[in-house]
Amino acid sequence: MENPPVAAPVDPALLLLLVAVPLAAAALSTLVKSRTFDRTLLIGVPVFVGAAAVVLLVIHADHAVLAHSVGGYLNGLAIPFVSDSFAALLLLVTSVASVLCGWFLISTGEDQYRFVPALILMMLTGAYGTILTGDLFNMFVFVEVMVLPSYALIAVTGTWRRLGVARMFVIVNLLTSTLLLVGVGFVYGTTGTVNIGTLAAMDEIDAPGQLALGLVVVAFLIKAGAVPAHTWLVRSYPNTSAGMMALFSALHSKVAIYAIFRIYGTVFGEPPAWTWALAVVAVASILVGSLSGMAENRVRNTLAVQMTSGVGHILVGVVLLTSAALQAGIFYTVHHILTMAGLLLIFGAVEQTYGTGLYRKLTGLARREKATAVLVVLGLFSLVGLPPTSGLWGKVGLVVAAAVPTDGESTSVMGWVLIAAIILGSVLSLFALIRLWRGVFWGEDPDTYYPDGRLTGRSRATTLTADVRIPTRLLVPGAVLIGLSVVLFIAPQPLIDVTQRSADGLLSNGDYIRAVLGHG
Amino acid sequence: MILAVTVAVLVTGGVYLTLQRSMVRAVFGMTMISHAANFMLLASGVSAWRGEPINGRTDVAVAADPLPQAFVLTAIVITLAITIFMLSTAVFGHDDDQYRLPETGEER
Repeated sequence: MENPPVAAPVDPALLLLLVAVPLAAAALSTLVKSRTFDRTLLIGVPVFVGAAAVVLLVIHADHAVLAHSVGGYLNGLAIPFVSDSFAALLLLVTSVASVLCGWFLISTGEDQYRFVPALILMMLTGAYGTILTGDLFNMFVFVEVMVLPSYALIAVTGTWRRLGVARMFVIVNLLTSTLLLVGVGFVYGTTGTVNIGTLAAMDEIDAPGQLALGLVVVAFLIKAGAVPAHTWLVRSYPNTSAGMMALFSALHSKVAIYAIFRIYGTVFGEPPAWTWALAVVAVASILVGSLSGMAENRVRNTLAVQMTSGVGHILVGVVLLTSAALQAGIFYTVHHILTMAGLLLIFGAVEQTYGTGLYRKLTGLARREKATAVLVVLGLFSLVGLPPTSGLWGKVGLVVAAAVPTDGESTSVMGWVLIAAIILGSVLSLFALIRLWRGVFWGEDPDTYYPDGRLTGRSRATTLTADVRIPTRLLVPGAVLIGLSVVLFIAPQPLIDVTQRSADGLLSNGDYIRAVLGHG
Repeated sequence: MILAVTVAVLVTGGVYLTLQRSMVRAVFGMTMISHAANFMLLASGVSAWRGEPINGRTDVAVAADPLPQAFVLTAIVITLAITIFMLSTAVFGHDDDQYRLPETGEER
């Protein structure tokens, strides 16, 4: 795609605002003690970034990449902020999820805990920064900015029990960050640059350089929660509150996925020598994630292992690294963010009302909470990949991409293995989620619930009265997300167009390199 | 060589300490691993002694590579912040450091 050098329709320096505004908002929120103000920021900032992302997506339709070298240093040496279709799409989806999670947290009153709005805004700063930066070291810094507030968030919304989890969460994440840092250092030592544009422009990255980038990918795989390093995620996420977990699942693992896509697509462009290893990770993630759900006894634990399965599906896109596969992977990422956050928020509403997420304590909700039951069915269908939800197109896209290599040859062995894993994983997921459905929604009518003293944690089993129902205001955020999943089933074409543009932008990195290293 | 051996010693000690039950020891372990990472970062530049990388003061040919130094500086700040947070989680809560598995809220 040889675009003539057109003047960018907006000043690329404005990209910095997408990071500066959340950061400034976080600072303001600590200074100004006002709940209304906090709430305005918590919703307003992601709305602002989401709107900006829509503008960027429109711009990228005919102006593929916007890049700005921060501080006016020499291009290639400076830290660039880069936006292309992929970055803008991820900005939009994470913002949508953040707005709805923020809304849910406000409904449950969790935003009133000390500094929670400020910490969430800081986390958004890190997520947006990781998506926009074009420099590996800067990416590490923004990942840290994203993870640091979550150390506090995972503990602040909890009771004493969650502190033990917070310890494990911090240690694992710090160890992973150290690995990432070492990887970035090695990339600098072997290639002499950590600028993604410069790396992409290199004719060939030698074996040590590829190994160093591999270390960076490994660190991001751990952060994304891929098998065999998924247990930290599965054990820590469900122990924070549902709203937080939804926010974490929408931001943390998906931003790590974004980084993997960026390194594979923009820097490598063709499968590196260790593709088979990544294929093993992807297949193991799909199967282990789907199967583990059979052994969980709480709703959100089951969903947490389903996140691992989702990461495996998304990785199929980078394992194959064709245009169609990347497109399907990005589509699946969008679908997974929306569906997972939606389900978590709806079960958050269930837990908020009935005070527990244990299968053996919840029963017979299908008759009692009809609207919730419908939403949950749609959400679970979406996870498994059944119509009428976006999960179908996500999985169909991946299977087709695995079955049809671009060069017109017949399906490769790896393609067959991946297809088998996806289908087997879907069946196993179906069983695990049927178990969830049976445990929570079928069975006898419930007669007890565990009402929540607002700040004191769980209380004892109390006889259920007719007026205990899930309030509609708690259901709305999750319903919107599940609704989006259904909308994507009915009208997937706009998203397919955008994801196709994103995948092409990743694979043919000429525009990216020109924008980062050019006159910019 | 000395750098490589130092990194090896720090990582060995760090891994051993991180695997201990006590949170404070784990924190010390993580600190050592972070130091090892900082040394590795320094080694990605030129590890021999060079002049200060300040324009007009040192000739470019003998100046040190400023980038790894900037990396390390950033990394030290981040690690320091997290270390403080980890130490505070060690102080919080009960005296369960040595004897009890942390409660995860799971049914066992």
